[in-house]
Amino acid sequence: MTTTAERRSDLRSSQAKAGYLFIFPSMLLYLAFVLVPVIITVILSFAYYDPQFGSHWVGFDNFKRFFTDPRSVQIFWNTLRFTAMAVTGNVTVGLLLALALNRAMPGWLLYFFRLAFFLPVIIAAAFVAIVWSYFFKDNGIFNYYLAHLGLPTVHWLSSAQTAMPSIVFMDVWKNTGFFMVIFIAALQGVPKAIMEAAIMDGTPPWRRFWRITLPWISPVVFFAVVYASIGALQVYESIWILTNGGPGDATRSMSINIVEQAFGSFQIGYGASVAVVMTVVILIITGAQLLISRRLVRY
Amino acid sequence: MFKLNRRSFVLSTAALAATSGLTGRAISADSGSIRILMAGGDADLANTNNAIARFNKKFPNFQVSVDMDPIATGWGDFVTKVIGEFAANTQHDIFGTAIETFQTFASRGLVEPIDDFVAKNPNYSDFAPALFEDCKYKGKTYFVPTSWNNIMIHYNRDHFDKAGIAYPKAGWTWDEFREIAKKLTIKDSSGTVTQWGYEVPNQNFFIQPWLFSNGTGALNDDWSASNMLDPKVAESLQFLHDMIHVDGSAPIPGSATMDNEYLAGQVSMINRGHWVIPNIRNAKLNSDVAIPPTKVNDYTVVGFGAVCIAKGAQNMDAVQAMVAELTGPEAEADVAKTGSAVPGSKAAAQLPEYLAFPPSAPLFYQTLPHTKAVPSPANFQEVEKIFIRYYTAVMADEMPVADACKQADAELNDSFARLKASLS
Repeated sequence: MTTTAERRSDLRSSQAKAGYLFIFPSMLLYLAFVLVPVIITVILSFAYYDPQFGSHWVGFDNFKRFFTDPRSVQIFWNTLRFTAMAVTGNVTVGLLLALALNRAMPGWLLYFFRLAFFLPVIIAAAFVAIVWSYFFKDNGIFNYYLAHLGLPTVHWLSSAQTAMPSIVFMDVWKNTGFFMVIFIAALQGVPKAIMEAAIMDGTPPWRRFWRITLPWISPVVFFAVVYASIGALQVYESIWILTNGGPGDATRSMSINIVEQAFGSFQIGYGASVAVVMTVVILIITGAQLLISRRLVRY
Repeated sequence: MFKLNRRSFVLSTAALAATSGLTGRAISADSGSIRILMAGGDADLANTNNAIARFNKKFPNFQVSVDMDPIATGWGDFVTKVIGEFAANTQHDIFGTAIETFQTFASRGLVEPIDDFVAKNPNYSDFAPALFEDCKYKGKTYFVPTSWNNIMIHYNRDHFDKAGIAYPKAGWTWDEFREIAKKLTIKDSSGTVTQWGYEVPNQNFFIQPWLFSNGTGALNDDWSASNMLDPKVAESLQFLHDMIHVDGSAPIPGSATMDNEYLAGQVSMINRGHWVIPNIRNAKLNSDVAIPPTKVNDYTVVGFGAVCIAKGAQNMDAVQAMVAELTGPEAEADVAKTGSAVPGSKAAAQLPEYLAFPPSAPLFYQTLPHTKAVPSPANFQEVEKIFIRYYTAVMADEMPVADACKQADAELNDSFARLKASLS
């Protein structure tokens, strides 16, 4: 006769089997398309690999080359600069738009604004970049209006000073709608009772935002910052289409450098080592954000 | 009555196997599939389809498919694509390519030597011998030239007429060119340029005439090392830089070429090959070509298209027959008629359709003896990227010419050292 404990154990065992069975397909995909490529990339980073010319181990030579190449500093700095500007822009503008739309207004108007701001998110970055490359031309729409204001032509993409901010501007236009949507969802979770009590106490709106709204949605803000940072650190197509990483190296990101080295110059081992460095950088930045979040985020 | 005993069974089975083997081999010679990867646009695709149709009349049981690569981002990316195909063992049987890729493909053993095939084909005697010379790697021929492009100055004749400037003549100088570009640049009342005198080129191929006509080049003569420290390289780059930042007669080159701006009459002069002629003709632009201006000589750059056979391609007889169609007299006539390039065959370059436009169309063929091939070492894709990176920094006024030449020289020589180590 089976005891209750044995029956419970059998149940747990069969539930566990079913669980493993359910996650098996996704684990298989994860192994094939994430884990195995990551392991191969790490292995390749210690090798000179060429399918035609032959391959051999080079130890830490690829990493030494990366850390002694003066271009690495510039490219690393470009990536950090883009990340800082794009994350700040996307999260701030997204939050401001969410605050603006999180108020009483006719339903159709609300949906119109949400759709208008979210629409760029669903358009492929490559298409967006192609369209914006026309806006940024010397004879593009921005310079057309500047000329009408009596202002000189700005070389948006061909000047090192303006190229990166121009790319960030486009990136914010394209992606901020996504953050707006998640912030709207978070704002709707702020308890109305607390807000009404604050209003009755005469707390000014700015103070209500700092003391109630922001702490309440801080976990979502933290998620947005981490999510935007990881995406920005991997920026590729928008920069590639708008500037090819130029002028010179002024806008070249680490992702572009990886692709150029591995598949443009066939230095697959060196490209893999840059990818490994980039992964470590993303881990460090995300880890730092997690540490900071312990002080600032209220769960 | 026939009895099937053990011995007769074994014999008949062996006979059947041998016969089926022979039959199978015979079918494989008469049927199969051929995959072609061609480079270019609609005109090139149409020419290729015509060649396939001719081939299929002789080999009706072969399925031939063609993929096109528009070479939107330069030949370096095409090389990457082809090498990737070989790495994945999904390579096409025939590649339409260009000189920029020759050494890379041949040094990596991606293509079949075709000396015997070329020697047997009488059509190729009509081709300029210089073209076949550049198709060799270490003494063996790997490519058959199909068409070529030398960079000329395309100029808008209406703009010249309006400015009262005489059309360029052979032997015009850099200084004359610069003055003309200044005169052709027009600004509106707000100071915005509405018509640029010249487009300072943004692509490696288009830039070369400014180096060659100054008696220099970014690489040495055998493409084995950098030549960026030659003061003449700096002089050429400074000249182009000054057209942008001193004269204001050209915009800073961006990532896109200004073909559309030329067709729209917003730029008066551009450096291009013959491939822009169909678009200029369709746009009914009053345009002509001139030999690039002279500094120490009148040399310009030539690059040419070619066809090659992938190493280990199946059905070699049929593949060679397909290559013969892609490079035969009808294909050459197609190139001449569409105007997508200068045909490799001299006879085709004398067809009236080819000579109809632009007015100075014969110049393309006449200047062939005064051309140098675009430097295309086995590490071309890396060399091109290094050169263009520093070039764009100079043209954007982000880096002094001397610093750019020095840093580019170091990077180029590092790249050549790596190449040497790979090949050894």
